[in-house]
Amino acid sequence: MQDALLERLRAVIGPANVLTGVELSPYVVDGRTPEAAVFPGALEEVAAVIALCGQAEVPVVPWGGGTAASVGMPAARAGVVLGLRRLARLVEHEPGDLTVTVESGVTIAELQAALGNRGQWLSLDPADAERATLGGVLAANAAGPRRHLYGTARDLLIGVTVVTADAAVVKGGGKVVKNVAGYDLPKLFIGSYGTLGVIVEATLKLRPVPEAERLVALRFARLKDAAAAVRALLASDLIPNAVELLDPTAAAALGAGEAGGALGLAAGAVLVVGFDGLPEQVEWQCAELARLAAPHGGRDATPLSSAAWPRLAAAVRDAFPVATAVMSFDVVPAQVAELMEQGAGVARARGFQTAWAAHAGVGVVSAALVSDREPREPGPVCGVLSEWREMARAGGGHATLERAPLAVKSQVPVWDDPGAAGRVMQRIKAQLDPKRILNPGRFVAGI
Amino acid sequence: MATLTSGRKTALRRELEAIVGPGGVLSDPDELLVYESDGLTLFRALADFVVFPTSAEHVAAVVRLAGREGLPFVARGAGTGLSGGCLPAEGGLVISMMRMNRILEIDYENQLAVVEPGLVNLHLSWAVVPKGYYYAPDPSSQQACTLGGNIANNSGGPHTLKYGVTTNHVLGLEVVMPDGEIVWLGGRTRATPGYDLAGVFVGSEGTFGIATKIVVRILKKPQAVKTVLAVFDQVDHASAAVSAIIARGLVPAAVEMMDQLTIQAVEDAFGCGYPRDAAAALLVELDGLRVGMDAQTERIVQACRDAGAREVRTARDEAERALLWKGRKSAFGAFGRVSPAYMVMDGVIPRTKLPYVLRRVNEIVAAHGLRVGNVFHAGDGNLHPNILYDPRVPGAEARVVEAGAEIMKVCAEVGGSISGEHGIGLEKADFMPFIFSAADLAVMQRLKNAFNPTGLCNPGKVFPTKKSCVEVGPVAYTPHAIEAKGLAQRF
Repeated sequence: MQDALLERLRAVIGPANVLTGVELSPYVVDGRTPEAAVFPGALEEVAAVIALCGQAEVPVVPWGGGTAASVGMPAARAGVVLGLRRLARLVEHEPGDLTVTVESGVTIAELQAALGNRGQWLSLDPADAERATLGGVLAANAAGPRRHLYGTARDLLIGVTVVTADAAVVKGGGKVVKNVAGYDLPKLFIGSYGTLGVIVEATLKLRPVPEAERLVALRFARLKDAAAAVRALLASDLIPNAVELLDPTAAAALGAGEAGGALGLAAGAVLVVGFDGLPEQVEWQCAELARLAAPHGGRDATPLSSAAWPRLAAAVRDAFPVATAVMSFDVVPAQVAELMEQGAGVARARGFQTAWAAHAGVGVVSAALVSDREPREPGPVCGVLSEWREMARAGGGHATLERAPLAVKSQVPVWDDPGAAGRVMQRIKAQLDPKRILNPGRFVAGI
Repeated sequence: MATLTSGRKTALRRELEAIVGPGGVLSDPDELLVYESDGLTLFRALADFVVFPTSAEHVAAVVRLAGREGLPFVARGAGTGLSGGCLPAEGGLVISMMRMNRILEIDYENQLAVVEPGLVNLHLSWAVVPKGYYYAPDPSSQQACTLGGNIANNSGGPHTLKYGVTTNHVLGLEVVMPDGEIVWLGGRTRATPGYDLAGVFVGSEGTFGIATKIVVRILKKPQAVKTVLAVFDQVDHASAAVSAIIARGLVPAAVEMMDQLTIQAVEDAFGCGYPRDAAAALLVELDGLRVGMDAQTERIVQACRDAGAREVRTARDEAERALLWKGRKSAFGAFGRVSPAYMVMDGVIPRTKLPYVLRRVNEIVAAHGLRVGNVFHAGDGNLHPNILYDPRVPGAEARVVEAGAEIMKVCAEVGGSISGEHGIGLEKADFMPFIFSAADLAVMQRLKNAFNPTGLCNPGKVFPTKKSCVEVGPVAYTPHAIEAKGLAQRF
């Protein structure tokens, strides 16, 4: 690290906001320690940091709560972690407009608390809400169970302010709920993992807090029976806000926090469905769900506590004390159960334990894999993960290796092949970040 | 304009016919005239050719030919656009997608359909309605407009308040890139690896390439629908009712507003049951479960009464509901009965600013000696002032354009946008600096360069034409500029 750069960074944002040496341990990713971690306190300080790093050609690693920091290929070069936690102001919330403008370093939990005081909420419920920042959630395109009804960041983000690699402050979209002026820059930055710009502020659509909400769990003898119940549910008039399919291991992790812990006894699968709306609507839908599921063997309909929501978002990861690898999949909804069943079979045959859960209505599946022996040799783990990926791809889906040891990541690509679109992505990166300052090497197609 | 020699033109026509077949090319000036404008007749331009491909391979071959010749090209659907977005700005080729109008697949289990871009919006809903499904985005032109055009403009419609616009319903696209390569952006799953290029492509106004297959979500029809008509003696009260409904924790499927001039035009034309003496009417639609529908309807009725509605009634049956919606969806046509011509504006404002902005719109139009009928998506603050004028009066059209620009400035001033669903096209390219800085536009330009480096794909759209307004290269870092522009313009 050039001392001159450190000095300039300290001068711009204050020495207390520039961490070095042993203070960097929370920011070590895949065994690589950054050269510094800096915490600007204002938009123009973010721009100044990026300008200085750009001049010195030192990579910038944007950092929110660090909950997705290990997602991606290991950084090619150590750089400067750009922490955004000090940018957490609520800029504007006009309840009558159902919109909020907020700085990106706010955590999801802090934002929801502020909005909840005025009867509204952001209908985005990713895991780790206490730590995950809004900017990080947008950059990683994280979502949770309620995406079934309310969609993901792409359905909620209407305006974004970013600092680009050349330190320009750029905004896209606006603060109105409907807007087609100019290209849809908010879509470009969602899920871009900090490779195109640093998100510093966002405007989002909100919803009124529903009067009532309930989660119900049903047990099934076999996964395929639960999948049949999901099909019946999706073809019905019901409007669930979450449709979660869990294998017994993931269900046990979910049930462990519930009084009685009865979910852990499931032999085949557990289906968890959420409903919101007026109390009579929730009541009627819960009864209808039990009626729809009965012919498919669904039984023991059990209401879960509201504390089960955050556990649902992380059920797979939390199923084991330390998972060896976590992989997520996007498939068409009809393929969810088959992937879960066959994927578990492949791992079992090689002596691995797994946990599986899915946002079944939208085809988003997660799996955690654990090896009981200390793996000296990553080969068998890589073999299973590669087979899983092939299963997803065979049905037109894809897989992302969200968490794995470096030895595994070096053999199994984190990101799936984007195909010919990858070349367009590379051209976008070259246009917006020609010097490859922002998170170089972390994302798809070498981006 | 067209600068091809007649010999060159004949040779090119032969080449194009070899690609799409002899019945698939127009080059006779009389035939080309049909394609000289879209729904906004203010702008006209003649192409050298109109071609009618029937496959992605056709489109790719035509695009490669255009590239080789350095000819600009633009895709066109039904031509119902309202911003001049599909005009052949500088001669060249219009690529009509109207012969690629098939539904390729309907997958009910995964709730998606794969269609070609020339498919008429409403025809998709017709195809899936027997099984209880529909395609949600419903622009007023849905009986004619195509899904490819909807993709280009990220089209909306009355029911976008609850269900979102086109982009929220598109999963993936097969695209012929401006260099002729066929690429899939997105797919059938909710996400695909890498950047959300399908999301970036939707709303790019035909400047990023030409979609040749589209994967869209289809939704289950709601179990129940209720439509409420609220009649007001003051426009301000109707505006206030919109925010009051939202403030009561309700998200209706649609909240539409019509003012007196519009109501009278509609009643003259169709007799849909709107009171002619009302200053404004709100059409509010709720959909969802049968359980709780009456309770929610009652809350809407009460919110409207509290805001000062003189009359609130609920459509008793499907026939009455259809009649009320006919009035709303036919309003643009009805203006034709009260004025020889009209121009529809499209702007968006935060809905809490409705009372102020509607007053300003009326003042601005009156100051130009013109009349305006407002019929719009009040629930999401998407204004549609229709300025009425007589094109035979010298200077009238210029005054309409001036008034339109002033209205857009007001939208920008209150934190809104210069287009909610019609797009920028040619019409508003020079208004872009009202809401975007040079740095914002520079990033958009670079994004365009990644898709369309030669600029031959639909040139002259979206970006301001005055060179001083756009900086194409990288923007240098200067702290003062950031403070002045970034902070001062922050929303």
